[in-house]
Amino acid sequence: MAINPAIDSVADRLAEEPQANWRAAVMDFARRRPLGAVGGLVVALMLVTAAGAGVLAPYDPVTVDFGAMLARPNAAHWLGTDAFGRDVLSRLIYGSRTALLVGFGAALIGATGGAILGVGSAYFGGKVDLYVQRVMDIFLCFPLIILALALVAILGNSLPNLIVAITIPMIPRCALVIRASALAIREMPYVDAARAAGFSNARIILRHMLPNVMAPYLIMLTAFLGQAILLESSLSFLGLGVQEPTAAWGLMLRGAAVDFAESAPWMAIFPGLAISLAVFAFNLFGDSLRDALDPKLRTL
Amino acid sequence: MWKYLLKRFVLMFPTLLGVAIFTFFLIRVIPGDVVELRLAGDRGSVSPEALQTERARFGLDQPIWRQFVVWIGGAARLDFGTSMWTGSPIWQEIRLRFALSFQVAIMATILSVLLAIPLGVIAALKQDTWIDYAVRVFSIAGLATPSFWLGIVLILALLIIFKWLPPMVYTPFWVNPWQNLAQLIWPALAVGYRYSAVATRMTRSAMLEVLREDYIRTARAKGLVQKLILSRHALKNAMLPVLTVVAIEFAFLIGGLVVTEQVFNLNGIGLLFVQAVAHRDYTLIQALVLLVAGIFIFMNFLMDIMYAWLDPRIRYR
Repeated sequence: MAINPAIDSVADRLAEEPQANWRAAVMDFARRRPLGAVGGLVVALMLVTAAGAGVLAPYDPVTVDFGAMLARPNAAHWLGTDAFGRDVLSRLIYGSRTALLVGFGAALIGATGGAILGVGSAYFGGKVDLYVQRVMDIFLCFPLIILALALVAILGNSLPNLIVAITIPMIPRCALVIRASALAIREMPYVDAARAAGFSNARIILRHMLPNVMAPYLIMLTAFLGQAILLESSLSFLGLGVQEPTAAWGLMLRGAAVDFAESAPWMAIFPGLAISLAVFAFNLFGDSLRDALDPKLRTL
Repeated sequence: MWKYLLKRFVLMFPTLLGVAIFTFFLIRVIPGDVVELRLAGDRGSVSPEALQTERARFGLDQPIWRQFVVWIGGAARLDFGTSMWTGSPIWQEIRLRFALSFQVAIMATILSVLLAIPLGVIAALKQDTWIDYAVRVFSIAGLATPSFWLGIVLILALLIIFKWLPPMVYTPFWVNPWQNLAQLIWPALAVGYRYSAVATRMTRSAMLEVLREDYIRTARAKGLVQKLILSRHALKNAMLPVLTVVAIEFAFLIGGLVVTEQVFNLNGIGLLFVQAVAHRDYTLIQALVLLVAGIFIFMNFLMDIMYAWLDPRIRYR
């Protein structure tokens, strides 16, 4: 085996390096940005909770038990039960699935769509850029929730439609930021080189420019995650988002939670805490990521 | 500079027109129409003739481009017609509700600016100390807390601790200021937290940037007291981006209070919008969107003026 131990050991080290680098980068991030690490940890815990909801939740989230209506938090129901006798903790655990699904779905599509639009707009410049910007300006005039409300009314409120309704108002906000970064990249020699080599526009945009706006892209992505979760819970609270009996945090705050707030405050308090904690964790993580990647960029 | 301002002013109108066109056609894609909802309701059927005559009354039987021309012609003369649902003039529908939403937005702005500027400045001055961390955690939590939930918690706290509920019926400020404030301070607080978080973060990052500038070092070198450096040199220069986010948040608050108004049982612009969408009340939705977007566009225009006036480094094209 070991014909030349010196070379072998170098090869081994080279093979190990990427992984070691990655781990070192994570450790470095955690040490230099403790707040961000805490956020990342909570996000990781949430992902585990959502994935293992079936195992972790003590009860079925939709089974109605009229024998245990509005039970106070006790040994059997740690966070009490709601007006249908459903276990609040179990509904919170299953609700994380809805929140993460909508959050990641909307943020990924929104940031990616915005990035392609922003880079494309910057790359083509001139008339195309002008028209795209004018259309974006129109979209930016609407408060997020107003546009999302109208879109839900048009599309109907299934989960995929909800994601679309939350995504569309985010696209122009992301396109705006990414375009600004892409304008600088357009002037880079390697873009000229790619053009001179006769590559197609699509290839230059996707392969040469998009990878170089990774930093603002990731920052917008993490910023959108929290916003999407907030928007989903607002829509669900209004009765225009996720529908009963699906477990969703915003929905849990609707109706009975407000009506019985005085006698059964646990119904109103815990789902709100879950939303806040989730969004808080994503923002904390996103903030530190921004500081690490591109401190000049301002998100919210 | 006047030419620049004139150009900015004129540029507001194409955007507003774009919003009008977009809204007009978007809401007509929503399934169902106001006539059907109003006459048939949720029970039984109405004769097709009755639906036809009612549609004709609103001009809904006309070709869509014609409807648009008629509407935009009226809107240009600030005549938004009557609500298709209630039949009363749009201005009458909106006036009082706008006053309410506007007041909540103003109160939230005052609260949040009073909180944000000192917090942001302190955090920037003590960067990376526990004070900075505390301010940052406080403001990130503000961004994370849904204002409607904060509203629920506020009401709950008042109820359980003080055995008192804010008044549920809206009294205009000029009728009974005390009653009015007792009702509206709570929603203003609930949305103000998020709002102040946005402003605090902007103040902090703008201050951090300004504090690294050469002119601050010069001011220090010539021995100015810290207080003067901060108030005359740093804060003044850091205020523009803060002013921008405050203006934009304010514009969005007027129409974006939707969920908070629901919690506090306030009959404002946001709730009116939700009802208008549910009723497919086209004329009312159009007027509301134009109002909200118009405020946003106008605030942006105001910010342009502020920038041109306050920052001589901006070049005008």
